[in-house]
Amino acid sequence: MYYRIAFFCILLGIGFIGCKTKQSKDEPKKIAIVVSTLNNPWFVFLAQKAEAKAKQLGYESKIFDSQNNTAQETDHFDNAIASGYDAILFNPTDADGSIVNVKNAVAAGVPVFCMDREVNANGAATSQILSDSYSGCVAIGKYFVETLNKKGKYVEILGMVGDNNTWNRSKGFHSVVDFYPGLKMVAQQSADFDRNKAMEVMESILQAHPDIDGVFCGNDAMAMGAYQALVASGKADRVKVFGFDGAEDVVKSIQDGKILATGMQFPEVMAQTAATFADEYFKGKRDFPGKMPVAVELVKKDNVENYAAYGEKE
Amino acid sequence: MPKPIRYLLYVAVIVLLAYNSVYFKKLDEVKAGTAAFDAAAYAKDFWEKKLTPGLSKAVELGALTAQLKTEKDKAFEQHSHALGIGNIRYFLVKGQGIVTDVSENEVSVKLADTGESSGNVRIATEYIFGNAVRDASGQIDINAFTNSMDFNNVSAEINKLIRGKVVPPFKSEVKKGDRVAFHGAIELNREHLQLNNIEIIPVSLQIEKP
Repeated sequence: MYYRIAFFCILLGIGFIGCKTKQSKDEPKKIAIVVSTLNNPWFVFLAQKAEAKAKQLGYESKIFDSQNNTAQETDHFDNAIASGYDAILFNPTDADGSIVNVKNAVAAGVPVFCMDREVNANGAATSQILSDSYSGCVAIGKYFVETLNKKGKYVEILGMVGDNNTWNRSKGFHSVVDFYPGLKMVAQQSADFDRNKAMEVMESILQAHPDIDGVFCGNDAMAMGAYQALVASGKADRVKVFGFDGAEDVVKSIQDGKILATGMQFPEVMAQTAATFADEYFKGKRDFPGKMPVAVELVKKDNVENYAAYGEKE
Repeated sequence: MPKPIRYLLYVAVIVLLAYNSVYFKKLDEVKAGTAAFDAAAYAKDFWEKKLTPGLSKAVELGALTAQLKTEKDKAFEQHSHALGIGNIRYFLVKGQGIVTDVSENEVSVKLADTGESSGNVRIATEYIFGNAVRDASGQIDINAFTNSMDFNNVSAEINKLIRGKVVPPFKSEVKKGDRVAFHGAIELNREHLQLNNIEIIPVSLQIEKP
């Protein structure tokens, strides 16, 4: 008798599990959007555009905030796999630390499409759609050399040193600027992509090097922080500041002549491409490019009227 | 089973598992994974076997600018290449014209047989950077590269060839009024098209004798 009851209970349990994870054919497929942080408006924009495109394509979607924490990201992946999500649009927190999450999802049959940030494992993700940061900063480097007329002292403020984008941007910039011996980098420091940190870093650099001519920053938030420090020290008029991202305040600052240039990224294009790739995956496509670079455009005073924040079409 | 043999078996299993769980590799070997790619050799091979033979397919720049004014999408479709997505596309072009100015960074040329303002172009002689030449031919597949930095280094090496081989003999001879012939690559923005400021990254340059 007890065996029968136990057997019945097991069957019932399996039935419940089946109810939770199995998707009926009529239900729309589900897409998880796992984003490194929703504290930065750039990533909020990326996540919202991915969600909107997924919805437009007829899929259910949910945004997960990893809060720049790989452990939290792992929980989101585990939940997404267990809850029967069919694809993950992913903005990793850590190029190395996020690899295991991508591999686990793909091993569980859930395709992963990276947006904007990459993982350092070729072939781990189904596809990686990334800003061509290196080439964007080659263009910024060229404009930097032109505007400084091949000579002067400059400072570079880096993003997070563990992030690939930080170094792709720095290498692209230096691939041009280092050709010109008249341009001397007097300081290179990280400010973690953070506006306040960049302001503090710039303030301390200015004490040691009050005679700089230019500042290249790995993102726009840091460019604004550096600019604030220059304003406070009364040097904003003679020091040329360059950023990267295409953030709203920097686009406006270029119009006002405060910041010289930025590299416009297109988060909407990346988000939409990732969602479209997921759609194509569901329809049977499997041969996706390992990496899909998205062009970055140089925005400066003479073409800024063509651009809105984050590359949005006006 | 006697205890000593059992313990021996346990130890053997543990040693076997431990041995297969840990791999030691020299750091040099790991680093060599990316260092092994020779971008300079790749660029030289690309230049000789793909780019130079492919120059015959370059589009006449005057005809291209005329088509861009009337059939922009078709012109981009037919003649441009890019390895990623976005507005920036590259064209492999050719043409002739008269030198109107020689400056420190560029040579200005008025294209032959075009009476319009877009017939004025600039041949870069100083700022040879970017992906225009690498991408314009459409003969490089991004998926053939496992590392994006290798891919970027190919552009840098191609540009180095231009700075070393193409520009110096031209720059030392060229003067205002010369008739020149060129092959090269240009970058255009599909969304924000500017035809009055075209810059050519040269692949071959000749000063034609009268």
